[in-house]
This record gives sequence, structure tokens and C-alpha cells, in this order.
Amino acid sequence: MDNPFKQSGQSLHRRAQEIRKKICIMNAAAKSGHTGGDMSEADILAALYFHVLRYSVRADGSVGWQDQFILSKGHGVGGLYCCFAELGWLDDAELKTYLRDDSRLPGHPVRQKMPAWITVNTGGLGHGLPIAAGLALARRRRAAPPQDVPARVFVLTGDGELEEGSNWEAAMAAAHFGLANLVVIVDRNRLQLADFTHNIMDVDPLDRKFHAFGFDVHDTNGNDADAIWKLIESLDYANGKPKVVIAHTIKGRGVSFMENVPAWHHKFPDEAQLKQALTELDHA
Amino acid sequence: MRDLADLRDGAVSALSRLTAAGQDIVVMVADSTSTSKIAAFLDAYPDRVINVGIAEQNMVGMAAGLALGGHIVFTANAAPFLVGRANEQVKNDVCYSATNVKMLGLNAGVAYGPLASTHHAIDDISIMSGFGNVQIFAPCDDVEVAQIVAYAASVDGPVYIRLDNAKFPVVHDAHYRFRPGRPDVLIDGREVAVIALGSVVGEALDACERLQQEGANPTLVNLSSLRPLDQDELARIVADHDAVVTVEEHSLHGGIGATLALLMARRQLHRRLTTLGITEGEFARYGTRQGIRRHYRIDADGIAHAVRAALAG
Repeated sequence: MDNPFKQSGQSLHRRAQEIRKKICIMNAAAKSGHTGGDMSEADILAALYFHVLRYSVRADGSVGWQDQFILSKGHGVGGLYCCFAELGWLDDAELKTYLRDDSRLPGHPVRQKMPAWITVNTGGLGHGLPIAAGLALARRRRAAPPQDVPARVFVLTGDGELEEGSNWEAAMAAAHFGLANLVVIVDRNRLQLADFTHNIMDVDPLDRKFHAFGFDVHDTNGNDADAIWKLIESLDYANGKPKVVIAHTIKGRGVSFMENVPAWHHKFPDEAQLKQALTELDHA
Repeated sequence: MRDLADLRDGAVSALSRLTAAGQDIVVMVADSTSTSKIAAFLDAYPDRVINVGIAEQNMVGMAAGLALGGHIVFTANAAPFLVGRANEQVKNDVCYSATNVKMLGLNAGVAYGPLASTHHAIDDISIMSGFGNVQIFAPCDDVEVAQIVAYAASVDGPVYIRLDNAKFPVVHDAHYRFRPGRPDVLIDGREVAVIALGSVVGEALDACERLQQEGANPTLVNLSSLRPLDQDELARIVADHDAVVTVEEHSLHGGIGATLALLMARRQLHRRLTTLGITEGEFARYGTRQGIRRHYRIDADGIAHAVRAALAG
């Protein structure tokens, strides 16, 4: 099983930009949403769903997952819904139901709403990594050797989220159990709700922390989808070590007036801002 | 004199039987191999026990992940650290996400008596009851716990089972069949119904047998299935008596006394209700378990006293 798209270069970049446009339109319509974090993760989601993750879409629309993905930064669900829309799994009209009463699109991922696509309910921070570690362990237990590439589990965390201690319990366990098929991707946009992470609670040196916990540590430009998939494809899944990809991103990436502005953590574009955002995203 | 047996032995032997029968069971512990008395299972199935160390949040999170990966996962650690330390993982990763995780709350109530309130779990039923999607059981003997563990393994989704480290009297014989939701009537008597929770069913049974010698004939109900709970059946039992006495080694906030009070109020069942348990709004006293039970009148003497008072009106 492989990724059904395997896109790269400009076509993959356009996927990320289209996801961003949908995010702006959706959050403007909802008059809410975590716009900044949705935008920072767009290239990571594009790289995963349009190149890295191995899955097959069946005739009835259900999905068979070989690799699996958990969005630990559950507030970034807007980006995920828009990625699903870019995949053709949701239509643009349904995106307009984001945050509406009883819609399929609540403000954090709910697997009961979309059982084929959402692995687990996240929203409280520091939950995704322990769950991903358990899932990676189960996948390895299920693997029938010899197997060329084991089923991989990807988990996307925020960087402020790494202030939660539960992540480090899981990091210790992931290394202890040698979960080489676990890939933690940190959306390192350097901003959390209140301010820059280094002003609130400095998570650096992140690379050395993960290294000390026994991880295979890598850095990349998290707003370059090609760089992300190339790094993930180059990882050694037989080295007995869990992986971390510190994906350096810009919160609000792609729209000039959102980039690196803390207020855009939980802010939506008005009509004029939306127009400008769409223009910028079409031309970059 | 009844035989005494450890609930954990019933649970662990059931896990071994189910695994031998082909169920894909994984047991997770947080350095709690001795607490859970898991040794026999560990010897037979060493690759089916996962010890995450002293890290309860990670134990429950990983349990959810292992369940998503297809395993039937049992967590086995002390109840205070499960419902307290890993509270949000229990809520989100297990209950809200409806993952196939069965949580064994070991040494609940004041089982850790003299180790004091950090180690007591007098709020586990209350806390679990606040979450959706989770079934809640409090077995009273090793016969019942084995059947509840088998039932838990057979249904998809979250289950909480309140366990203990003491030996409890075996009140069920081999013919007993646990039925989810059913109040288990141990003595079918009259006038007063004693309704007891798990670890103090033995105390209540002692009390009832003493009262029988005095010429009284109270009913005794083992309320082991808290969710699901057949409210109609429980209401029928209440309606058949003049008075109800609830007994629990749990806070009176959110325990079975509160359950009965709500049921009786909703159904306008005007019966005398006496709720025995740990005073709400307090941490339990510390000391020997028997001393704590005596203090809160949830030992056989206290229960017998309450029933006599109820009979006297």
C-alpha cells in the first residue's frame, strides 16, 4: 500500500495553499477558529496526506489505513477538515458548518463524527503522543515479520503543547519500547495562546531534550512540504528509535498580516481580510 | 464460615482463561505488578503485560492507543492514581473516544487505610459516573469479578471495575450468573432493604445474619452493576420495603446512597433512607481499615445498628 497521490513540488505546494484558502474561508464563515495554528500546519498536513501516509480509499468511501495519523494539537482541527476537503472527502459547503450545532465539524476532532478519518478525540493537550505510542506499539505487535516498512504512526503536536508533562512520560516510554515506527512532528511555530513560547515557558533546547530522551531527532522547514516528505522518507525505521521531526513553521503562514502575530491564534478574518488573504495565497 | 478470596485472584485468573481461549488481551501496569497480583498472568504471557513505570497518564494514553490498534486492553493500577492522576486521559482517551479499555481500579475505597488520603479512592465511582460511555462495576467476591472481567472483555468500549486488595467472603456459588444492570439480591427479606457496594457487601452480610438471629429478616442487595443499572428493578425492590439502608466505602457524594436518593425522589418512593458511607466534603480518616469502617458505621456493627433504627422507625 502506498500514498494514493505521491505529489511533490509545485502541485504539492498548491495543495497546501488551497488548504490555507479553505481555512480562511471556513473560519471567516464560522466567525471563529484557530486560524494561526491551522495555517502553520498546512504544509505538514499536505505532505502527510498527499505524499507520506499509506492508505487506500475504498469504493464506498471508507479508508484503509496502513499508516495512521493523530492530531495531538486538536485545536488545529480546522486545518485537518480543510485537508479532508482538499482530498475530496468533505465538500466546501460542509466546511461552512464548522462549529455549527450538531454538525460533523466540531472545534476539536471527534472520531464518532468521522469514524473513517479521525483516529481519536483530542483537544486536551499532551494526549496525542501517549496514544500514538500505544498505537505504534500495537502496530509493531501486529506486524508479521519479515516486513519491509512497518506500519507507521504519525502524531502532530504543537510546541507550546510540549509544556505538558504527559508528553515526556510518553517520550520516555517510546524510547524504552524502541518504537521506531513512531514519528512525532512538532509544529514549531514558537507561539502559544498568550505569547511566544520562550516568554511563557521555554521549551528549548527541544532537539537536545528529545535526544536525551532517546529519540532520533531531525529539524526541517515545516512550511516546505517537499522538505517534510523528503525527510520523513529518509528516516531509518529499523534503528530502534522513535523519531521526532521539529518542523519550524510560522504561525499564520501564508498571509502577511497573520504571520507571527499572537492575536491570530484564535481570530477569524473579516471580509476585507479574507479577500486580501485569498489574493496572497493565490500568488505565493 | 464462608471462604475468603482476593478479588484480584478472580480477575487475574479470568484474564488468563480469556487469553488462553484466544482473546487478544494486553494488561498495562504502572509499576503495579504486585498491586495487581498479575504474576500468574505475567508468567504465562510475558509479552502481554506492558509496564510503563510510574506514569499513570501515559499508561492510560497508551492503553487507548493499544486498543485503537486492536487489542483488548486492561489497565491495572491503584484506583486513586487511575482516577486522580490520569483523570483527563480516562475522560478523553478512553471514555470520550470510546476506546476498548477496561480499567481495574485496585485497592479502592480505604483499602490503603493507614497510608492515608493520598492513597484512598473514595471518589472513584463518583468521578467515573461523571463520564459518558463507561460501564461501571463493583464486584463483591471473586466469583463475580471473574464474570465481570469476562463480560468486560466481551463488550466493545470503556469499562471501570472497582477492585480491592483484601480477602472478601465468597457469597456466590458456582451457579451465580452476573447480569449487567441487575441488582443482585443476596437475601430476599422484608421491611428493610440493605443495599451495599462491593467491598462492604461482606460487612452487610454479617450484619444481616446477626439481625436474622434477632428475628429480623432484612433484604440484602449487592449493587455490583452501577452502569448499566436496571432502575425499574431497583425501584421495585425499594417499593417492596419500608426502609432502605445504603452502605458504601465511598464518599456519600456521588456514591450509591446518592443514586438511591435520586431514584427515590424521581419516582416519588416515600421510604425512609439511611445512607452509610464516608461523610461528604471530607477526606476519610486514616488508620486501620476496620477502624475507618467502624468510624463511618460501615462495618457490620454500624450496619446492624442502622437497620435496627430503621426497623424502629
